Amino acid sequence: MKTGISKAVERTDARKKIRGEAEYIADRHFEEQLYAKTIRSSKAKARILEIRLPEMPADYFAVGRNDVPGLNRMRTVVSDHPIFAEEQVEYIGQPLFLLVGPDREKLCDLADMVNIRYEEEAGVFTLEEAEKQDTVFTDYQYRKGDPAAAFRDAAQIIEEEFRTGYQEHAYLEPQGIAAEYRNGILYVYGSMQCPYYVRNALLETMAIPDKQIRIIQTVTGGAFGGKEEFPSLTACQVAVAAKKTEKPVMMIYDRDEDIRCSTKRHPSLIRCRAALDKNNAVTGLEMDVLLNAGAYNGLSPVVLQRALFSATGVYDIPHLRVRGRNYRTNMTPSGAFRGFGAPQSIFAIEMLMLQIAVRLGEDPLEYKMRHALKQGSQTCTGGKVREEVKLPEIVGKIRKMSAYVKKQKNKKPFSGIGASLFLHGCGFTGRGESDIRGKVILSKDKDSVTLRVSSVEMGQGAETVLRKIVAQSLDIPIEKVNYAQVDTGAVPDSGPTVASRTTMIVGGLLQECAKEMKARWRECDRLEIEKVYQHPSWLHWDDSTFQGDAYPVYSWGANIAEVEVDPISYEISVKKIYAVYDVGVPVDLRTLDGQMQGGIAQGIGWATIELMEGEAGRLKQSNLTDYKVPTSMDTPEMEIAYVNNPYPYGPFGAKCAGELPFVGSPPAVAAAVSDALGRKINYIPLTPESLMESDNED
Amino acid sequence: MKIEFTLNGEKKHLDVHAATRLLDVLRGHFGLIGVKEGCGEGECGACMVLINGRAMNSCMIPMGNLEGKNVITPEAFCQSERGRIIEDAFMEAGAVQCGFCTPGFIMATASLLNANPDPDEAQIREALSGNLCRCTGYTAIVRAVRIAAGKGAGAC
Amino acid sequence: MLDGYLPAKLSEALDMMAECDCIPFAGGTDLMVQHARGSGVRPCFDKTLLFVSALKELKTFDLMGKTLRIGAAVTLSELLENAATPQIFKEILRQMAAAPTRHMATLAGNICNASPAGDTLPYLYAMDAEVILQSRNETRVLPVADFITAPKRTQRKNDELLTGIRIPAAEFNVESYRKLGQRKGMSLTKASFLGLASTANGRIEDIRIALGSVAPHIVRSRKIESKLTGKNIKDIPGILQELQKDYSALIRPIDDARSTAAYRKQVSLRLIRDFLINCMLKKYRNKERYV
Repeated sequence: MKTGISKAVERTDARKKIRGEAEYIADRHFEEQLYAKTIRSSKAKARILEIRLPEMPADYFAVGRNDVPGLNRMRTVVSDHPIFAEEQVEYIGQPLFLLVGPDREKLCDLADMVNIRYEEEAGVFTLEEAEKQDTVFTDYQYRKGDPAAAFRDAAQIIEEEFRTGYQEHAYLEPQGIAAEYRNGILYVYGSMQCPYYVRNALLETMAIPDKQIRIIQTVTGGAFGGKEEFPSLTACQVAVAAKKTEKPVMMIYDRDEDIRCSTKRHPSLIRCRAALDKNNAVTGLEMDVLLNAGAYNGLSPVVLQRALFSATGVYDIPHLRVRGRNYRTNMTPSGAFRGFGAPQSIFAIEMLMLQIAVRLGEDPLEYKMRHALKQGSQTCTGGKVREEVKLPEIVGKIRKMSAYVKKQKNKKPFSGIGASLFLHGCGFTGRGESDIRGKVILSKDKDSVTLRVSSVEMGQGAETVLRKIVAQSLDIPIEKVNYAQVDTGAVPDSGPTVASRTTMIVGGLLQECAKEMKARWRECDRLEIEKVYQHPSWLHWDDSTFQGDAYPVYSWGANIAEVEVDPISYEISVKKIYAVYDVGVPVDLRTLDGQMQGGIAQGIGWATIELMEGEAGRLKQSNLTDYKVPTSMDTPEMEIAYVNNPYPYGPFGAKCAGELPFVGSPPAVAAAVSDALGRKINYIPLTPESLMESDNED
Repeated sequence: MKIEFTLNGEKKHLDVHAATRLLDVLRGHFGLIGVKEGCGEGECGACMVLINGRAMNSCMIPMGNLEGKNVITPEAFCQSERGRIIEDAFMEAGAVQCGFCTPGFIMATASLLNANPDPDEAQIREALSGNLCRCTGYTAIVRAVRIAAGKGAGAC
Repeated sequence: MLDGYLPAKLSEALDMMAECDCIPFAGGTDLMVQHARGSGVRPCFDKTLLFVSALKELKTFDLMGKTLRIGAAVTLSELLENAATPQIFKEILRQMAAAPTRHMATLAGNICNASPAGDTLPYLYAMDAEVILQSRNETRVLPVADFITAPKRTQRKNDELLTGIRIPAAEFNVESYRKLGQRKGMSLTKASFLGLASTANGRIEDIRIALGSVAPHIVRSRKIESKLTGKNIKDIPGILQELQKDYSALIRPIDDARSTAAYRKQVSLRLIRDFLINCMLKKYRNKERYV
């Protein structure tokens, strides 16, 4: 793996970033630029009775729903979020209108003088309340085999309930966006993952043809899903403001505003029932997944789908009944976040399998492996596992790396070791790829080429990896491959930068272009090749029954975590993480290591310290002082390895990678804490407060 | 208030409101965009600069406290010999992803190596704990600091 | 109103304090956050900022006899680097914020901020530290414990400047400090414990216990400490329950974004127990070597 495509090359975007030369959106300045400040609801659910504005000085404007030329809704999977609130507000922090003007200090002063009268209404906040009041947005179910029979014939039935909390993306660069009109064209610049989502939202809100809109992505300082759908909202807002004021309008979020008002990972409540036969094998599973979608549904239905299609994790369970519901609450809307619903389900199934093994007195890792999917197995949705499942090799490797057996035997009090097995479906769920039909362009000008895609560099290394795929396919130096500025006026829609699809799907299309270009290299100086995604004929999916191949292929992994729990304070120290992954063939080892290390750390944060609680619609932890993400002192040493398993349809054999590490570390850490304390763990984050409280109850 | 200070080796005279944050002066007045605003409350380290050789968060420094101080920003630091060593170490270790935190980490690294040219792993982790990174899990950054120390970034 | 003033010497600063309404401004790491208004916007102060961090008179750090005297402009980093700073105090300082903040923040600022979560306060309370308050015409000395009257409130008068801190020396052979935050790096304190004791021949000669962030003020009780003074270490278990009950009455924590009242209380009592039983008895068995 140290040669060929896996051998690391120098990251092409990094030196500029180190030297402070990279221009993020807040580093831009437009002539005569105005700033926008968002005025927000202070109530979780209310009717707006009156809005009283201070007298606006010259050059200062209020921009609201009456200024929206088109549809006052943000376009996404479910287009329900108003660009600016109408009569009703549904969550604290919901945007009401903008104050726009040249000086940010003055805008703060004006904002302090805004007076809003509300008529408050009773809100719904928790999943329990939502379930009781049946505020369901989306209700899905599917089944496999004959679950009724499995439970009827069961020798034992085990029931458990699992909970996971909110998580804030905490990308280091806050949300930022700017809009300006130039020569009758609306330009939008900003920190984003999905320029074409932004364009599609603007088409409806601004009611203008696509020729009059250009979305230009600026250097993006981290996203993790937090800049998937959310920038569509802010883009529409600044576009409306730019139209009204006839000036460029810039909007940069404050950190606390960003934490309070942008999307979060869905809190979940997952109820499981497992049927065991007389040989102690899990033959049936019922899983009921409840997600807190917040005030608007947005893309929560798709998050729920991935949660449901990850229900059984890496296990082959013949009889299944899976149900999932998204609930409306008066909380900040939940949205996309690395893993996209899968981490919640994988946490539940991993903890369930662990608890069953412990209860049966079996070694957890061996017990889990007895249920593992194999090549040819049926997936939970009745699709087919086509690739070789290298879990035995993965598990063998990680056992050896971690000296698992020896450490299990020589355990000290309050220290623990835990393992997780996991997978991640590569690319979009179900019909997603065939609906989007991503398009890429590769053009040649003499001896250099330019790749045009809408897949953005947001820190994950897409720029380097895509350039590298093209360069190696053409057998030219990477310096000869340009990555065109992501600008919807100049690049085709290769789809959004989400779902771990960039390397596998977009990189795959680029590789096809490059192969054709190589064959025609000498034809002429200028050559342009375009490829559109073709859905493989062997993939079958029925969106109405959720039957078939939810994903074309999976990436796989195992984690082992070592922890120590302080016997006095219950503080958790994660001492070490071992990880082995099958991502097909690593396209660039250093970039891949970076994804894995970062994903593991984010997962550790979610599982341990990243507590975010709602309190009557308000988030209690709303700045980086109260909401704690891991620092260098909170992240352990990590030992990471890969097994090669080339995917014939991925570029150089690559599959998906970016979300996989996030899915794996939380259940491993939770399993290790369970081992250290000698009791069940049914929730995360494992704060010292909650551990001490539940120990008091025992 | 009239303030005189040294910025990247040049004497500067400014007449500014005493409470104006150094961060805003560097970005707004001098166009030094390597200094980032990530939180505005000293939690993230993205706005770090070196003041008299030590890393500090420029969002917490009012101009009134800057009289006579020597300020180095990431832009200028990377031009120095030590800056180049640290830059190369960050490249080699793969310590850069989204990059928004990176200039701050460069400052923290410089500050650490100023005080301790040969830090161990725990000292590195402690010294970087005022900088948040959400992309890397810190592994590569810690390695970068070790590489830089090994190449003598603290000694020159 | 003047936005800020940079005095050249202490007397000039005291003149300013006497003549106009000023906010004494040293490192500013608390003040800047408390007055922040958002991204790209200048913090808003309603008084003149008096910048004292460059005053030479306040940069002093010396040992007078057995008393450590620390000028108000000495930063936490400077304290950490000074050989005269006691080890246990360094331990506390090392866990406070992170290096970039310590390069700016001062001990005086931590005292004047008067937060029950102030990291240096348990130590200053335990050591019977004093603050020196100077105005143009007067100098007075107050115990830190009296100087701070309530969260965010002190006895500093409008024309007074806190110019220094005095920490009387004392030697202990049992020392334990625990800071609990939401994470290991850079965290505000949700509960802290400091235990200091000096023992000889199995007897407790001096013992001081202080807890932070678990009541509106730092918890230190001489009354409870006096129940321990003179006792044999091996007799502690017999009175432990009573002591915990005594402390329990003083520990009155709150629920907030960082922790819960129940946790704060329970963990405090556990830390007290750990100190009195484990740390002390261990020392007893190890024949009381001085640390």
